[in-house]
Amino acid sequence: MDFLSNMGLGFDVALSTSALLYCFLGVTLGTFIGVLPGIGPLATIGLLLPITFHLPAIEGIIMLAGIYYGAMYGGSTVAILLNLPGTAASVVVALDGHPMAKQGRAAPALVITTLASFAGACVAIVILSAFAPPLAAFALRFGSAEYFTLMVMGLVAAAILVQGPLLKGLGMVVLGLLIGTVGQDAVSGLPRFTFGTLELYDGISFVVVVIGLFGLAEVMHNLSLGDKRESFVSRVPWRALIPSRKDIKDSTLPTLRGTGLGAALGVLPGAGPAIASFAAYAVEKRIARDPSRFGKGAIEGVAAPEGANNAAAQTSFIPTLTLGVPGDATMALMLGAMMIHGLVPGPQIVQNNPEFFWGLIASFWIGNLLLLILNLPLVGLWIRLLAIPYRWMFPAILVFIAIGVYSLHQEAFDIFLVVGFGLAGYLFIKLRCEAAPLLLGLILGPLMEDNLRRALLLSRGDPLVFLERPISLTFILLTLGLLALVLLPGIRRRIAAVT
Amino acid sequence: MRLRHALAGSALALSAALLAAPLGLAVAPAQAQGYPEREIRLIVPFGAGGSTDIVGRIVAQPLSERLGRPIVVENRGGAGGTVGTQAASQAEADGYTLTVATTSTHVVGPTVHDTVEYDPVADFAHISLVGETPYVLVVNLDLPVESVQDVIDLALERPGELNFGSAGQGSTTHLAGEMFLAATGTEMLHIPYGSNADATTAVMSGEVDLLFGSMPAVLSQIRSGTIKALAVGTVTRSPQLPDVPTMQEAGVADYRASLWLGLAAPAGTPQEIIDRLHEEVVAVVSDPAVAEQLANNGAEPTINSPAEFRELIEQELVTYGRIVESLDN
Repeated sequence: MDFLSNMGLGFDVALSTSALLYCFLGVTLGTFIGVLPGIGPLATIGLLLPITFHLPAIEGIIMLAGIYYGAMYGGSTVAILLNLPGTAASVVVALDGHPMAKQGRAAPALVITTLASFAGACVAIVILSAFAPPLAAFALRFGSAEYFTLMVMGLVAAAILVQGPLLKGLGMVVLGLLIGTVGQDAVSGLPRFTFGTLELYDGISFVVVVIGLFGLAEVMHNLSLGDKRESFVSRVPWRALIPSRKDIKDSTLPTLRGTGLGAALGVLPGAGPAIASFAAYAVEKRIARDPSRFGKGAIEGVAAPEGANNAAAQTSFIPTLTLGVPGDATMALMLGAMMIHGLVPGPQIVQNNPEFFWGLIASFWIGNLLLLILNLPLVGLWIRLLAIPYRWMFPAILVFIAIGVYSLHQEAFDIFLVVGFGLAGYLFIKLRCEAAPLLLGLILGPLMEDNLRRALLLSRGDPLVFLERPISLTFILLTLGLLALVLLPGIRRRIAAVT
Repeated sequence: MRLRHALAGSALALSAALLAAPLGLAVAPAQAQGYPEREIRLIVPFGAGGSTDIVGRIVAQPLSERLGRPIVVENRGGAGGTVGTQAASQAEADGYTLTVATTSTHVVGPTVHDTVEYDPVADFAHISLVGETPYVLVVNLDLPVESVQDVIDLALERPGELNFGSAGQGSTTHLAGEMFLAATGTEMLHIPYGSNADATTAVMSGEVDLLFGSMPAVLSQIRSGTIKALAVGTVTRSPQLPDVPTMQEAGVADYRASLWLGLAAPAGTPQEIIDRLHEEVVAVVSDPAVAEQLANNGAEPTINSPAEFRELIEQELVTYGRIVESLDN
């Protein structure tokens, strides 16, 4: 059994005292960083990078990786409790997680999140360790045409995500697409909608939009409620922490489905985890017997995206480690850290540095287990946050938002943008427009446009390229199927009836 | 113990970065004696994790040890590095703000972007180069070429049919490619990607045929044999790839494309401070441990004098200016 002996080697490395210590440090730091809105793993890893120069390679990378997936855990916590998501993935978790918290079911929501995260990560690690090289080869077959059709499918799936009137939802998607056009056009190099400023040259940062539309708008909305929103709970009995048997039963299958989706999409360099969370949520809503519960505290809507998000976080190491291609900026930083230590990411890393590769994978298991042990007792602590009167809570939230957003690019301009998006978000709440589809449009729009234009450049303008490539054709057929589902009159009536 | 110390240090750096920057650094009279008296801010005009950021951090750590004060790295990415560089040009010229100056920020950015409001020569006190990373001509494994001459022949045989990738329109990788086309009289289609990583993936998968990639982005793929390196754009061969000829050896005269990185301060920084910093940076880059970290990241450790640094920028402004002009026409 090759696999077992490899994992044996990995655990030998990862269970050494110092590796354990750094793993623990990493995941703990990651959890707390994740809880602070806006301060992401990127800034933290950037700050800690120089320290790892003095560490042995494996311990340094184990710690940095721990921060990365630890932050995923922490991000969900604050999204559920305070509706303060900092990443696309936690936006989705908050859709039902926060309503659960409002109903006094924050504890089960957090416990389920933790368990779903753990389950998602564990399954994904098995996939990572068993199939990394073939999966990486598969990811390479995704060219511009495939990415474009995948994104189109994602946008159509967004129609399912829409709550309430279809037109409003589509309007929000389009608004997201429009916001995504701000900044330098990748193909012509010309600036669009930047009003001559350098600040808008790279477009509007996703985090800025999320924090404004969700975090700041939520604060304003809560304040406008006045005394009604002084605190959710006064006292949390420890018994309430335990999710009911029904909760567990309701979230098992969604977690597994989400994990599968997340593991698959995480392999694609780029928007893997974000799209995975949205897709997992859309699937659950689609197949639920009563989709109207979604957005009002359905536990499936928490479990599935959380499983997807964490599975994707683990499998996104596949392109990074085996192709040397970073999926996002955080992964790029990890890649840099590896190269400084003279490790060469690529297909040969498994043969050339087996103790590093398997040691890192074994550390994922240990790290996720540590996160489980760390986070379950912390749930009790986090819940107590809710007992803090809002008049003390909201100034702290605003300060953290400002610090977090400023730390992104050290630009005061970003804080003004957050205020603008906060006002817009408040307006959306008043108009009962869901902000989640807007985010999907914002994520997918620029990717879609760039890939469409690149695919057409490569085909010298021939649009048939999308039909000629098998993976791309598959996505087109799936998209047409989805469209039929959404648009067929009978089904549409059903949607109208339940919303 | 050492770890705790290190973590405490970074926590301090974090809070310093978060607190000091927005308040604006207190205005101190520029005094060279006793410099530095407090922490120094190093603007990295690119996001955390990019090769510029990593080079900046590799140098910042030992430099702060030699100066005896912390160096706070501030990532101010945006618009090809011009946002952060503009901020650096307007900072107090007291020696407490430094910036990483690169081919992107001091040559290509001011040439390509109309909105840039700094003069890369007059608005800065240049300290020293730190490293130079060659652009490497890499090709997909299935492309039937073994040398630069093969590429030229193929491109002449099938004009406009080959695709070359880049990290974006007007990026240094794009201009390095255009420079090659101009030098060899060939035609290829430029396909812009969003980043070096995406462009590298495209060469691996064969979506584009070739790429003039920056060394840090393509080194690991070259080493693992998933793409083929044909030439480096520097004047001398890279110790990282000793078997790969230079462009000039491969028959393309007048081709020089590399991304250099150095340190600079706002113009008007007292000369004694610039001299001191120059001395320390030279010492840092000459340290074998630092040199190895730079080399592992694909950057050849390089130093020069402030005057040479300035001349380099002036020369390249002319070279790149010509390429950009020919693109606009």
